[in-house]
Amino acid sequence: MMDVIQQLREQAKKLLEEKKVDLVIGFGQGTELARTTPVFIDSPEGVSKLTWGPFCANNLAKYLTDYKNAPGNIAVVVKGCDSRSINRLLDDNQISRDKVVIIGVPCSGQLEWQKVSAEIKPGASLKEVVDNGDSVSVKTDAGDYKFDKKDYLLHRCLVCENPNPVVSDLTIGKEQPVKNYEDRFAEVQALEQMSTEEKNAYWDKQFSRCLRCYACRNVCSVCTCQTCVFDQMLPMWVSKRTNLSENTAFHLTRAFHVAGRCVDCGECDRVCPMDIPLRKLNQKIHKDLGDLFESPTPGTKPGLVSPLGEFSPGDPEEFM
Amino acid sequence: MESRVVNKGQISELLDKLAKDYNLIAPIKEETMTLFRRVSGAQDVLLDYNNSDISPKGCFLPQNEKTFSYMYTGDTLEINKPEGVQKTVLFGARPCDIKAILTFDPVFEGVKFGDEYYSNKRKSTVIIGLSCSKVLSTCFCYAMGGGPCDGTGSDLLLTEIGDKYYVEVNTEKGKALVDAYSQIFSSQGAEQLAKDKEELAKKLSGEFVRKVDLTGVKEVLDGNFELPYWDGDNAKKCIGCGTCTYVCPTCHCFDIFDYPTGDFTGDRLRCWDSCMFPEYTLEAGGHNPRPTRKERIRNRFMHKIKYHLDRYNMVGCVGCGRCVNKCPVNIDITKIINDLKEVAQNV
Ligand code: SF4
Ligand code: SF4
Ligand code: SF4
Ligand code: SF4
Ligand code: SF4
Repeated sequence: MMDVIQQLREQAKKLLEEKKVDLVIGFGQGTELARTTPVFIDSPEGVSKLTWGPFCANNLAKYLTDYKNAPGNIAVVVKGCDSRSINRLLDDNQISRDKVVIIGVPCSGQLEWQKVSAEIKPGASLKEVVDNGDSVSVKTDAGDYKFDKKDYLLHRCLVCENPNPVVSDLTIGKEQPVKNYEDRFAEVQALEQMSTEEKNAYWDKQFSRCLRCYACRNVCSVCTCQTCVFDQMLPMWVSKRTNLSENTAFHLTRAFHVAGRCVDCGECDRVCPMDIPLRKLNQKIHKDLGDLFESPTPGTKPGLVSPLGEFSPGDPEEFM
Repeated sequence: MESRVVNKGQISELLDKLAKDYNLIAPIKEETMTLFRRVSGAQDVLLDYNNSDISPKGCFLPQNEKTFSYMYTGDTLEINKPEGVQKTVLFGARPCDIKAILTFDPVFEGVKFGDEYYSNKRKSTVIIGLSCSKVLSTCFCYAMGGGPCDGTGSDLLLTEIGDKYYVEVNTEKGKALVDAYSQIFSSQGAEQLAKDKEELAKKLSGEFVRKVDLTGVKEVLDGNFELPYWDGDNAKKCIGCGTCTYVCPTCHCFDIFDYPTGDFTGDRLRCWDSCMFPEYTLEAGGHNPRPTRKERIRNRFMHKIKYHLDRYNMVGCVGCGRCVNKCPVNIDITKIINDLKEVAQNV
């Protein structure tokens, strides 16, 4: 992992020194041992802030639209899943390809920081992180810890489709083996087995908990509307009140608005402060899009047509 | 100050009784979350928990509150206020969250304006605090004038010691409650437990890992509204969600709006709002005095460590660590405080 960090810093330095980019967006050490935070580096001296490892969950492609009208070019560090966002942003004309330098880093899975943190002695400082394949060793000044990936990975990483970036200008680190997950939709299939009443009860319970903080929407790289309906005061489609009816309106609108564009990066699910399993909603849509339209996960290739975003006069649907 | 003792074996009995006599709000587990909810008895109450995911501030400032309903019939306007509030016990609140309620008091029960919705609930609620038995890596109450066994603001404070709870009676309200259930609250052994509690408080105060010190920070903010610091990474990485404000026990901003249920009928509601939302300060003419995330971030943190002090001489953060834990991009108030101390060296 150290050599990946080293190379990242060198490449970022080079890009900034040669003025190929004005800004590098990457991961830096966070305020907890097992946590990173987005960093925005605009000078070659700043590159020592860059880090890499199994605590880089954030999808930094999210920030690209903030800079779409900025004069210079932007480099961004992406994992496999995040790189799908870039394809999607390009296909939606949200960013232009020549403004972005994509630094891809093959990823062997991201751990849930809260779970890891709970095991480590508070206040310990990090010495080294080693990826052992099935586990991650975290060496600290208060002792060494080992985390089995199957118990600590983020849910999305357990069924990762693209450990290697699907689009990049430079790749840093070893290519990771691509696995085929038979049980990719296991959680959704379990939900599908439920009766309608059970499903209602399940989702009512989840949605009732929602605070409508909109972290799930704001973190999403494909939520790119300038003004979201949920922020509109006139007309007030959905009020600030939280109750089951308005929360459900929010959740279904959000899920359907990203249907066919959601790249399954899992960020919405990760950031929810109320642990609402948003990914299950998105995954149901992914599964259906696959079953009905043989549609691959959005963003896996450039130029994929979104099955719900295409208009064709020859569409067999009678109501069209 | 008086004190009492409750045997652990009797806590269920107490909770059952409280649930019968009062509207009882207590920590419960909902899937992975620890939340404060109304409970019907001891069976759902979580006694062993680290701090709850959401603070119990909703007891006094619910996320949604109907202030009145209106009906206009053509010649008369009828206004109906909700029924009076119920007698409530808030059980199991942590010291930091109780302190946070104290930061609400001057806002809602101010000299110039009183808020009856708040003060009615405040008056009819007994707060039974529960000392912490563990300090989390995100906790820093000690730096904000609190502590894991600090009973300030509570009517009763329970501290778990072995197979007993040591009970400090801090107010008349608390006294009335222990007297009403005198068969559960005994006085036997209280002296020894008082000593044990001191020991526990001392032990826990040594477990904080976050170094936070507010000295000098307000002074630098007082004279420097436009610090270049606010243009830095925080403004760039913040995604402008409401997470930090909604989980924060001291954030109390709300929005008031009408929710029509018919042509001339409806409810006037007040609901939590967040200064991190773009429309929060958006004015009718289209101007927004906090147009970007920089101004919003600055506002949130200035509120905590300057404005609340200016207005009420109380720091507006109690160090519960929730925003530190839940921010999706790891914006951390303790880092901001430390950064500002550094900035202070150079201004
Ligand atoms: S992040 Fe969670 S709590 Fe916040 S709006 Fe989304 S689902 Fe609701
Ligand atoms: S909806 Fe969720 S999983 Fe899909 S792209 Fe947005 S943040 Fe990622
Ligand atoms: S600002 Fe953060 S740490 Fe302070 S009281 Fe609010 S949520 Fe807790
Ligand atoms: S901040 Fe202090 S009072 Fe609050 S949960 Fe942590 S130790 Fe307890
Ligand atoms: S939780 Fe973090 S990202 Fe969200 S508004 Fe607060 S500081 Fe910004």
